[in-house]
Amino acid sequence: MSDVSAPERPGISLVEELCLLAIEDDGSVASTAGEPAFGMGVVGACLVELCIRGRLDADVRAGEDGTPETMLIPIASTPTGEPALDSVLAEVSAGPERSAVEWTRQLFPRAGDLVRMALERLQSRGIIEAKEARFLWVMKSRRYPVIEGRELQEAKLRITDVLLGGGIPSPHDSVLIGLASISGLLRGFLSSQELRRLEDRIAEVGSLDLVARGVEEAIEEEVALRARAMMIAGM
Amino acid sequence: MEIRTEARAGVTVATLDGRLDFEAADAAQARLRELVAAAASGGTGLVLDGGSLAYVSSAGLRVFLTIAKEAKAAGVPVAVGALQPAVKQVFDISGFSQTKIIDVHATVDDAAKAVAR
Repeated sequence: MSDVSAPERPGISLVEELCLLAIEDDGSVASTAGEPAFGMGVVGACLVELCIRGRLDADVRAGEDGTPETMLIPIASTPTGEPALDSVLAEVSAGPERSAVEWTRQLFPRAGDLVRMALERLQSRGIIEAKEARFLWVMKSRRYPVIEGRELQEAKLRITDVLLGGGIPSPHDSVLIGLASISGLLRGFLSSQELRRLEDRIAEVGSLDLVARGVEEAIEEEVALRARAMMIAGM
Repeated sequence: MEIRTEARAGVTVATLDGRLDFEAADAAQARLRELVAAAASGGTGLVLDGGSLAYVSSAGLRVFLTIAKEAKAAGVPVAVGALQPAVKQVFDISGFSQTKIIDVHATVDDAAKAVAR
């Protein structure tokens, strides 16, 4: 089987890799993971992974007002065996036909559950562990120290190789770069100066994918909506 | 979908005929992979003629990206030419038209000129 339908690295999915990138060196979850961009990015990572694994496909059609929209097409409902992916697959397969933007909005309230499922899977495979910690001796917080760090280092290395080396990304890495960038996760291992310098390159190689572009559109709309709401609240 | 090939001076033109969706993607990618290998050993460029490509889905776009990546690694210049408006729109929306990663031209002749060796 070619890498169009099969995961390029069957060991780790896009959503798991995105969650892994959100884990700081001390095992805490990056503050950007609390932002809607990360939550919607996680939903998007599930949708794109389902496309890569042959459960969904997408194409462009004219919407009601004639504007082109990326529509998701369920093509198989066979479970993947990964809880986060399968819960998204069940909902998309059973639901009405919607665009990638609409599915991202629709599934966004479940992003916390999807992250939990992805972290549990990373835990069950021995990539991270979960530890309870106390903040200010009272507040409980959970940390997810990376056990060996091989998978996380490999993901960072692939991203920096594409961004700095001038190569062409795989479909998986292109989406990972796009979603990690819009979720603010590249800041975890690239300096502000490097990110400014690589801005055009990130735009060139990130999210070269119909569904990922729809997810980015949903994120931009949500961020703009929240900014307007905050501005009104502050008036 | 069907892929026909034509040898021109310094370039192989592969005409993509039909629909490139998830169902067709594996076979299309395998065939294009063979053409990249042949172009690498023959020292030619490769043009993907989209004039008869009626439809491309997200899975089809992944074929283009994967082939572009593999061709670059093999040192084979690749260009796409003559995309139909509906397929060109998919390239535009997914960002393929705006990037230098996939070299898109209005005609097959322009694409062939760009990659002939």
